[in-house]
Amino acid sequence: MLTNVFALYAREVKRFQKIWLDTVVSPLMSMVLFLAVFGIVSGDRMVGGLPYLAFVYTGLLTMTMVNASFSNPAFALVISKNLGSIIDIQLAPLPNWGIGIAYALAACTRALLTLAVALLITIWFIPIHGISHPILLLLGLVLTGLEFGMLGVCFGMYAKNFEALTFVTTFIVQPMIFLAGVFYPVASLPGIWPMVSQFNPMHHSVNLLRYATTGYADTAPMLSLGVIVSITVAVFVLMQWLTKKKLNS
Amino acid sequence: MIPALSVKHAGKTFKRQNAEPLEALKDVNLEIKAGSIHGLLGPNGAGKSTLISLISGISVADQGSIEVFGLDVAKQTQAAKQIQGIVPQEVVVEPAFTVREVLYYFSGMYGVPAGERDARIDAVLKDLALSDKAEERARSLSGGMKRRLMIAKSIIHKPKLLILDEPTAGVDVALRQKIWELVRRLRDEGTTILFTTHYLEEAEQLCDRITLINHGRIIKDGSLKDLQQEFSKNVITFELYDREATALSGVVADGNAYHFPMTDLAKDMRTLTEHYQSNIKSIRSEAVSLEKIFLELTKD
Ligand SMILES: Nc1ncnc2c1ncn2[C@@H]1O[C@H](COP(=O)(O)OP(=O)(O)OP(=O)(O)O)[C@@H](O)[C@H]1O
Ligand SMILES: [Mg+2]
Repeated sequence: MLTNVFALYAREVKRFQKIWLDTVVSPLMSMVLFLAVFGIVSGDRMVGGLPYLAFVYTGLLTMTMVNASFSNPAFALVISKNLGSIIDIQLAPLPNWGIGIAYALAACTRALLTLAVALLITIWFIPIHGISHPILLLLGLVLTGLEFGMLGVCFGMYAKNFEALTFVTTFIVQPMIFLAGVFYPVASLPGIWPMVSQFNPMHHSVNLLRYATTGYADTAPMLSLGVIVSITVAVFVLMQWLTKKKLNS
Repeated sequence: MIPALSVKHAGKTFKRQNAEPLEALKDVNLEIKAGSIHGLLGPNGAGKSTLISLISGISVADQGSIEVFGLDVAKQTQAAKQIQGIVPQEVVVEPAFTVREVLYYFSGMYGVPAGERDARIDAVLKDLALSDKAEERARSLSGGMKRRLMIAKSIIHKPKLLILDEPTAGVDVALRQKIWELVRRLRDEGTTILFTTHYLEEAEQLCDRITLINHGRIIKDGSLKDLQQEFSKNVITFELYDREATALSGVVADGNAYHFPMTDLAKDMRTLTEHYQSNIKSIRSEAVSLEKIFLELTKD
């Protein structure tokens, strides 16, 4: 059983390895661009004792990771549904949970690889010295990759075509990123938006990973961890249900 | 002995947008003996592929039950999938991967240990005359080669029940023979085979038994010989040089020709040739081709 699921995971890893330039270069480009802009405009500004550049940097890394882990399975599934090659995972003796987990883990792997490369290239320009909570950071990274990887699986199973996927990316994922506190602390948002941000899963990932790296948090880090774990569990259940519904009609 | 496949009262209805629901399968009953080659024949839209999708577990029957070697497809889905190999009707390939990679990951998904995969890949590629294509992109194969790759995928985990949905469509004559050979060899090695085809002579060549399906219902089921006997005119017609020869009992003269009621084609032929020997000028049975039977049974 594990061999079967692992083979699907390995296949999905192989898939993005074949396009490693896409995998690494485009997220890196957007990150470098953002950093250049913010580096120039921010000057010596500080956010709660943290240099603004370090604040944005941790947010951008999370954003990169969330994007990579969400879009990898979502696109892979929509493409294979359109090609018809989805039949391979319908025919093979794979458990429903295993299909989703294999895709989500591959997504997580892609996200972590992208992150590692991005870090290696950019960390030298950022005023971050050492990691405040390494274990928490590792946990936060894996959970975030899985959480958004599984969300990507859900959308990939659900979406019929690329239009639907583009719609979700433009009207749901992007606004979520801007309300996640990547570029500024959510508390500095006007009106009800700080409150709304608390319901944004991306905010909790940004917050937790920023805290684990720098020690700075907008929202209580343990609340964020709790929210991430709960959402991950809920999405797992949803993913399994959707997989069964969409692959066995 | 447990049958390789047992379908009982299976039904499947498709809901359609802007149209009445379509009853693609109605009360289908089918049993396949382990170790045989079984042909599933029927016109376009008869329900063959739908039935295969139920057996393979990628689609769920609305009524009835399906067991593969005693494993209930609805309840023991993974175990049932594990012992099946399926060649779907539609040829699809993963554009990103090479032939070897396709087989490597697909066999892995059936639990073939990583260490065994390369040897098995080489063996199935050889069986399907694709050895020199191993490192090529699957996408770059010709149509017939892609179909052979699909067959390679279906047998790499050594299934007990192999189901091929039109495996030879678009395959050239020489390779079709090669696929038949492969199917026979697999049967001889103990694999049970269910396949569909629109080439009736292919079914005549290969099948131990044949099931005819039309409009979602099974309309005939039996060995080729059963079908031929049922549909033949049940008579052997012959002419003689010496018309004075002593008549065999049962023979009826009819102008220049004679008719003999047939019960078993081979046996009756032998009886006649032994009796009249070289006196026979011409002899023919009215044994009908599968094509005739097929057309007879599926005409609306
Ligand atoms: N997903 C579906 N939704 C709606 N109708 C379907 C679906 N799949 C098949 N059908 C209908 O069910 C009927 C049986 O189709 P099926 O593909 O099983 O035929 P077939 O015997 O395999 O035909 P062919 O020889 O052309 O492959 C057809 O009328 C077809 O239009
Ligand atoms: Mg068909």
